[in-house]
Amino acid sequence: MAHEIEHTSNHPSTSQYVLIAIILFAITIVEFLLIWDGVPIEEHLGASKIPLLVALSAVKFAIVIMYYMHLKFDNRLLGTVFISGLILSFLVAIALISLFVGFGGGPRTYAEARAVPYIEHHEGSEAAEETTTPVGGEPAGPVAISIGAEGETLAFDTNEITAASGSEVTITFDNPSANNQHNLVIVEGGTKDAVAADGTPAGPANDWVAPGDARVIANTKLLNPGTSGDVTFTAPAPGTYQFVCTFPGHNFTMFGDFVVN
Amino acid sequence: MAHAVEHEYTTTGLNHRKMLMWVFLGSDCLFFGSLIATYMVYRGQSLVGPYPVDIIDVPLTTISTFVLLMSSFAMVQALAATNADNKRGIVSWLLATAFLGAIFIGFQIYEFNAFKNEGLTLGGNLFGASFFTLTGFHGAHVTLGIIWLLAMAVLGAKGRLGSKTSLDVELVGLYWHFVDIVWIVIFTLLYLIGGFDAGPAVPPGG
Repeated sequence: MAHEIEHTSNHPSTSQYVLIAIILFAITIVEFLLIWDGVPIEEHLGASKIPLLVALSAVKFAIVIMYYMHLKFDNRLLGTVFISGLILSFLVAIALISLFVGFGGGPRTYAEARAVPYIEHHEGSEAAEETTTPVGGEPAGPVAISIGAEGETLAFDTNEITAASGSEVTITFDNPSANNQHNLVIVEGGTKDAVAADGTPAGPANDWVAPGDARVIANTKLLNPGTSGDVTFTAPAPGTYQFVCTFPGHNFTMFGDFVVN
Repeated sequence: MAHAVEHEYTTTGLNHRKMLMWVFLGSDCLFFGSLIATYMVYRGQSLVGPYPVDIIDVPLTTISTFVLLMSSFAMVQALAATNADNKRGIVSWLLATAFLGAIFIGFQIYEFNAFKNEGLTLGGNLFGASFFTLTGFHGAHVTLGIIWLLAMAVLGAKGRLGSKTSLDVELVGLYWHFVDIVWIVIFTLLYLIGGFDAGPAVPPGG
């Protein structure tokens, strides 16, 4: 007797299955309403909708394995085998995620600083220019660029930044260094060392930039360690310019290309 | 003695085929768990578009999610018909399950194609790589399930399925429901939560 296969004595009835299906539908509708901007719930919830969505899908998951897959009525050993695999997969996921990135959503800092905006293309009409993302010829809107310094190493964290000619560019420069002052100066191509040399006599009071230097297109203030500043200017004619820190000595390693197209 | 499956003696008292199916599903959790974790690791790391917010169509996928949920309901009806020796019921509910699964796959093919036209490819960015790998393997599971269901429907039409062999239907049902719960997780993480992930702001006028 003890070894006989127990069988399917108390499966849910058809009406219970229908009820379960309705519950699953209802939960999915609630999930959709939580994220759909057609109803005002979405803004009110903010970030708290994420645990809510996870909880709702966990409820659906549990209902399906308990009732549709009969784990609630079946031998516990079957459930143990499955739940063991499930727990292991959770551990693998937690290990992988914490090993590589942590749990914050949204673009990570590296991607945020370097990612290229995606310009939606509509199939058919403008198929010709689908691969080149930068805008050519059209009036360009404001561009925001973030740039930082690499710790204490006297280098920017990027070698090249780009903008469309005529667009209003705002560069935000973040100086994370604990010791060094930095600035960011946009200059004509190939003139970074000359501009820095001429800026040295001007001193920190002039942010290490010679007043009235025609080769300087724009510059931030001299930034103390741990501070950030920004500069807004109109991108000049297409060509390759440079950005550089003109703090004496920094210009040899701390520079990059500013490409205007 | 004619129906060995029903009267098989095992040390656990549990049918080995059913146990094997649950062991497989437990290990398949690890397979999908790793792919989901990979998606989460790469989330927000893409350097070029398209980004999720540019292409993910949540309302469309909500519909295909409904279809898959409905197929799970058809599946339990198929098992109930099997236990009741209702041959017509067995065949038609199995076919209904397979049909709904096929609609789900149809939605997925449409979606993959639309994404490809928007520039999302397996090798284009991290979002495309992790998205297509995860949802593609899920789609492969669904496709395998459809083939299995159709094969069972053929057996049912030949009169080979009934209360004595209900385990045959129960096993395909377990597999099918598992594929459904994997989708429940994918839908929540990739669409409801991750579907609004944006890249850097697009310059207006660009």
